[in-house]
Amino acid sequence: MNAPRLTRILLRCYPSTWRARYGLELADLIEASPLTPRVALDVAAAGIRQRLHVAQLAINGGLVMTIGPAWRHPTAFAMVGAILLLPTFLFVGASLLAYELGVDAVRGMMESVTSAMANWRIVDLLLVAAPPLAFLAALAPLVRLGVDRRDGALEGVIAVRARLLNVTIGLVALLLAGVLVWHIVVESVLQVGP
Amino acid sequence: MGSRPEVSDPGLLLLISLADGPKHGHAMLLDVAAFAGVRLGPGTLYGALSRLEEDGHVEALPAEGRRRPYRLTGAGRRLLEGRLGGLSRAVRTGLQRVGA
Repeated sequence: MNAPRLTRILLRCYPSTWRARYGLELADLIEASPLTPRVALDVAAAGIRQRLHVAQLAINGGLVMTIGPAWRHPTAFAMVGAILLLPTFLFVGASLLAYELGVDAVRGMMESVTSAMANWRIVDLLLVAAPPLAFLAALAPLVRLGVDRRDGALEGVIAVRARLLNVTIGLVALLLAGVLVWHIVVESVLQVGP
Repeated sequence: MGSRPEVSDPGLLLLISLADGPKHGHAMLLDVAAFAGVRLGPGTLYGALSRLEEDGHVEALPAEGRRRPYRLTGAGRRLLEGRLGGLSRAVRTGLQRVGA
């Protein structure tokens, strides 16, 4: 592993606000001399001490302490939602083409897939569970829960934001969940269908 | 014990280093090693420096590339004078008691 890459990893020990202010200067200092285990340990330990210091300020001094890494990585959470959603999206899309729009080529393929799935009920369960999980993953970064200290008392803080990618994936997940519920109600509960 | 530096508080060492003018991190590291015989790690140095800035004892000057010089503030100079005064009294007392 080269020194700049190891330096970047070591800087991850520090809180992001501290890194934004001092990261470049510290990286310059680390890279100015050989990166020995002693130096690496010193930088990592100082980063952990800085994180503890920031946490203590948050509890004692009135800074907002956020809960939830989702707020800091909205795109990564949106991607997790999209990956969770993909198999259900393909399955529902193919089902609509085959049984609602009557595309024969897709119908033949779907029949072989569904007969194979008959022995694997867990796949059914996963396809149904995926949209709610994807919904949560996509929308979790849009809400931030925090604890703030005001006038000596701890108060909960809630912040909400909008991001097109996360909202889009959340809406697609909701739509797919709706289609699946409709399918289950119409074909399993009401016993209506082909 | 005999080989340990007399003063090892990184904050105090940085205040002393900055007392004769602004310096960036690397210059402080070399300066501290020269006058105190202490090799501060980069993490220790920037940990102490960020606390001093947070407390208003040093201030940053405009960056020069990736390096940024720092200088003592008035509050930092007063803090340094107070701490050196306390150390000086302790040293004088110690010397008197050992009869040096």
